[in-house]
Amino acid sequence: MTAGSWLRGSTARAVLALALVLALGAVFHADGAFLKISTHRDALRQASVYGILACGMTLVIITGGIDLAVGSVLALSAVCFSLWTIHWGWSAWLAVPACILVGAAVGAASGGLASVFRIQPFIATLSLMVFVRGIAKTISGGTKVSTAVPAADGGYRYVEVPEIFRAIDSRVLGGQVSTVTLLFAVCAVVSWVLLARHRWGRQLYAIGGNEEAARLSGVPVRAAKIGAYVACGALAAVAGICQAAQEQQGDPEAGAGYELTAIAIVVIGGIHLGGGRGGIGRTLLGTLTIGYLGKILSINAVPEAARLMLTGTIIVAAVLTQRREARS
Amino acid sequence: MNSREPTSSSVLHLFGRVAAAVVAVAALASCGPSTEPGEVEPAEPRWRIGMSQCNLGEPWRVQMDADVRSAAADHPEIEVLFKDAQNDVLKQRAHVEEFVSAGVDAILISPKEAAPLTEPVAKAMEAGIPVVVIDRKVLGDRYTTFVGADNHEIGLAAGRWLVEALGGKGRVVELKGLMTSTPAQDRHSGFREGIAGSDIEVVFEADMKWLEPEARREMESALARFEEIDAVYAHNDPGAHGAYLAARAAERESEMLFVGIDALPHEGVMYVKQGMLDATFEYPTGGREALELVLATLGGEAPPREVTLGSRLFTEQNVEQGGAPIASQGEIQ
Amino acid sequence: MSAQGVAKSSSGPRGEVEASTTLVPRLRMRAISKRFGSVRVLSEVDFEAFGGEVHVLAGENGAGKTTLIKILAGAHADYEGRIELDGVEVRPRTPREAAALGIAVIHQELSLVPSLGAADNLFLGRWPTRLGLVQEGAMRASAVAALERFGIDIDPERPVGELGTATRQLIEIAKALLREARVLVLDEPTSALQAPEVEDLLGRLGDIRARGCAIVYISHRMEEIERVADRLTVLRDGHRVASAPAADVTPAQLVGWMAGREAAEPFTRHAPPGGSERLRVENLSVRVRGAVAVEGVSLSVRSGEILGLAGLHGAGTSELLTGLFGGGGAVQGELWVDGERVRFRGPAEAISRGLALVTPDRQATGLVLPLSVAANLTLPDLRRLSPWGLRHPGRELSVASELMDTLGVRANSPSDPVAQLSGGNQQKVAIGKWLTVEPRVLLLDEPTRGIDVGAKRELYDLIERWTYEGIAIVLVTSDLRELLALSDRILVLHRGRPAAELSGLQATPEAVLEAAMGERRAVAR
Repeated sequence: MTAGSWLRGSTARAVLALALVLALGAVFHADGAFLKISTHRDALRQASVYGILACGMTLVIITGGIDLAVGSVLALSAVCFSLWTIHWGWSAWLAVPACILVGAAVGAASGGLASVFRIQPFIATLSLMVFVRGIAKTISGGTKVSTAVPAADGGYRYVEVPEIFRAIDSRVLGGQVSTVTLLFAVCAVVSWVLLARHRWGRQLYAIGGNEEAARLSGVPVRAAKIGAYVACGALAAVAGICQAAQEQQGDPEAGAGYELTAIAIVVIGGIHLGGGRGGIGRTLLGTLTIGYLGKILSINAVPEAARLMLTGTIIVAAVLTQRREARS
Repeated sequence: MNSREPTSSSVLHLFGRVAAAVVAVAALASCGPSTEPGEVEPAEPRWRIGMSQCNLGEPWRVQMDADVRSAAADHPEIEVLFKDAQNDVLKQRAHVEEFVSAGVDAILISPKEAAPLTEPVAKAMEAGIPVVVIDRKVLGDRYTTFVGADNHEIGLAAGRWLVEALGGKGRVVELKGLMTSTPAQDRHSGFREGIAGSDIEVVFEADMKWLEPEARREMESALARFEEIDAVYAHNDPGAHGAYLAARAAERESEMLFVGIDALPHEGVMYVKQGMLDATFEYPTGGREALELVLATLGGEAPPREVTLGSRLFTEQNVEQGGAPIASQGEIQ
Repeated sequence: MSAQGVAKSSSGPRGEVEASTTLVPRLRMRAISKRFGSVRVLSEVDFEAFGGEVHVLAGENGAGKTTLIKILAGAHADYEGRIELDGVEVRPRTPREAAALGIAVIHQELSLVPSLGAADNLFLGRWPTRLGLVQEGAMRASAVAALERFGIDIDPERPVGELGTATRQLIEIAKALLREARVLVLDEPTSALQAPEVEDLLGRLGDIRARGCAIVYISHRMEEIERVADRLTVLRDGHRVASAPAADVTPAQLVGWMAGREAAEPFTRHAPPGGSERLRVENLSVRVRGAVAVEGVSLSVRSGEILGLAGLHGAGTSELLTGLFGGGGAVQGELWVDGERVRFRGPAEAISRGLALVTPDRQATGLVLPLSVAANLTLPDLRRLSPWGLRHPGRELSVASELMDTLGVRANSPSDPVAQLSGGNQQKVAIGKWLTVEPRVLLLDEPTRGIDVGAKRELYDLIERWTYEGIAIVLVTSDLRELLALSDRILVLHRGRPAAELSGLQATPEAVLEAAMGERRAVAR
């Protein structure tokens, strides 16, 4: 591939979008705030939960599907994690895998509805988005699960934040990288290996590229597809654990609208929603673009209304460039 | 929090009822009838009171029901029937009508919206049942008493308190609630009135939409931008808590004060006890007061048309004693 | 009918014109030529139809009938030659323009809106309106009148999706006539109909003819052609072979024209000595979406043997291959591979038993276009190439490169997207991907569709080589000469049922076509 054709590719467009956002930050640096290391550390940490969700979303979108339930799974996982570790005193070694299992189970339900019962992924996961939010509220009793544990007398008893919360919401590598960012990196690497180096990843691309051809080539379409939703749910559960650790509580309302951010990230990364194309590298670019855009708007204290309009504009611009590529 | 609207997308809103129904079914399956049995005393109660809550998704409203319940526990002669309308106006309307046909002796209602509930409340009054309206009003004057707090007053008190605590001078970050909601607007304007005339400067303000993760994010930006911050005023306690976590992650939590609002026992009050927040101002639920008013009415007294609830301030010094009441005009007693 | 029709380049109406009222033809297409890339699909074809006649357009699959009709319908704007309607030259560039000129084409895939009623469909896009509002009452009244006129007895408000195929077809024809179509093209109108419905439709053709409309009728069924045709035009390999009044033509003559007398074999295959039985199928039936596509077919292929499957459009040959591969349809019957009784619940199981299916449409079902050549070539064998689930891109590339050499796939690199390759090279990938799994039975469905002569030749060589490697091949192709040249035996299907099994000297183009058209029920075996 020549340099010229690479520049016209959609990876290049995603890089360009990120570069533009970073340039924006350099210009509107908010009295030098954008130039501090801590700003970047925070920007990366804030983007990490979205990024973890986007990794799972990428797997599903590559099959030509979509998962709207990730925000609710995040909330369910955050609630379960807080309940089990803070209130019930479970060890992290038990609670973390259990939460991931819960997320995977929701994913299995989404995937089953989408591929076995042939409900459109949008509808299947929309219904689960609502249903799982309901479960999260039921389990939490409608309130945040925090270190104030309801006592029998109607009052509260107060407990310490479990060690695992502090461990996740800490910093590593000389204090310059948040643990959450590291977790995001691990999720991204695992997703990359699965997509780019694992048989299953190749099957996902084949399904998204041409489901019928894949099926007639012996690809286990149903199992592979369900697997994508399972992985997406599991990653959303990881994101939920990170969210709970950062909030020091499990909020059943957490993650509302995050599914849309995750989809926006994938789109800004230049991944076609039709499936069969894209990769984790682009998702990473999309995550950084959205993360930095949010950070720059925040340090400049841009009013909420303007933020919404600017973010919307960026997404439309990304989709327009994507469409131009598809046409050429 | 009293009149917060859900911030979720319209799709969520649309399907919210489905979710609510699912939760309701689950709740029903696990706990039996939605009216709580705990209040039934062995002795035949003399008064039966219906309590219609517009939703139990917000911790503050859960607290309101808890306050009513604990007030009722002091009176063995009454029984309270609790209903949760799950943010559905029509459901809440039905609840009021059910109370009327069940012939309760009095009704407590914390309405979701004024207009649709005005008529049912008036019908109850016509049936001779006194109705105490809590937190949000209904239209007109066909109710017995309104009980509510004043967000502007509370914001004012927070402002005055900060002026005093900072010695009249300082750089403050204001983390606002959803600015399209009335409570956020009032807490903002009250606060600005409270700090007016002092040398306190709001250097950074952002809309954190009542959400803790948003508050933490915005606070991180403020910390990156300003080397010196003297205080954070957040429109609710989770917001202040999020700001505290951000400052602690930057190892700057000791350089500034953290002030929140609501003072729920398991949120703001706990944060103050744990030394995270320096002050929180109670936004009273009015549950206990409303029940006392109902009892007085049933006892033949003529209640006032409107009761404005006073707030309480919780600080490290007074939190164990249950805080200190605040008089009007934000003066701390 | 005489030899006069054989001339290729003559123009103007033939001597005898039946049932026409004027000497100017309704439709005249003169010297129409069309190429797709380097492939010439129509060469200076003349065609004319007079008002009030049914003109049957006949020819084997791939003879150019569809292309000619598509040009008429405005689907291919870039053709050579001229089209005249009632003596006036027209050049429809889009289907919409063609429709406006009065050319109506009734396809096998009907173009009605299933959720709307017959009334709405009849006036689709031309609703009677006042101030932009549809005049429901007026529309309903004229719809009822129109349906009555055409003898269609249905509720005009009922969604047409709930009606049967035959009724929908009638509505579509009524719609065309309401718009005063001058030329009505019926493209295999009876292929999806049951016998009584066919009767009904054929009965109505007389009425339609009486309206002065020129009817171009495409069909593969001899009995229909004999019944309805006033005149016949036969295409073969993009040339007009003959045009004559139907009364003068015998079925044998028609088949002869379609098949071509010379039937020069483009390729002579050397068959390996016969081996053991690889695949045996007993009494196979396939239902696709509830409709019987294949019924009661039995066949057997030995190693090194090529069994040709012949059948005209809708005969069920594709459904047969897909069905026995476990790739679609509800399958009943018994299957043996290398003497072992098998049952496939899906393609993966068929593949593990050594079956491979090359689908007729490489873009729709054969290849994953966004993926690379290497990814496509290794897809069926992904499991073996990725022990413990981990892929080895280097190994995949070397496997792919080797295959590309064997097959002669011309691409810059195995990493190129397969979508960038030419049609012939794509087809080689679509076939070649199966070689990695070392198939024992290769099911080839139209393996040479849409590729040029050179690429075809290379494929024939490959197919011959595979037979020497002991692979049993079942071949479906609409190219009759290709089928005859490659197959050891030919099984002919007619409407999903076995019509004849031909081998050796029996296997002539005429015999195959006759059986396929249902002209004569030859006894199988």
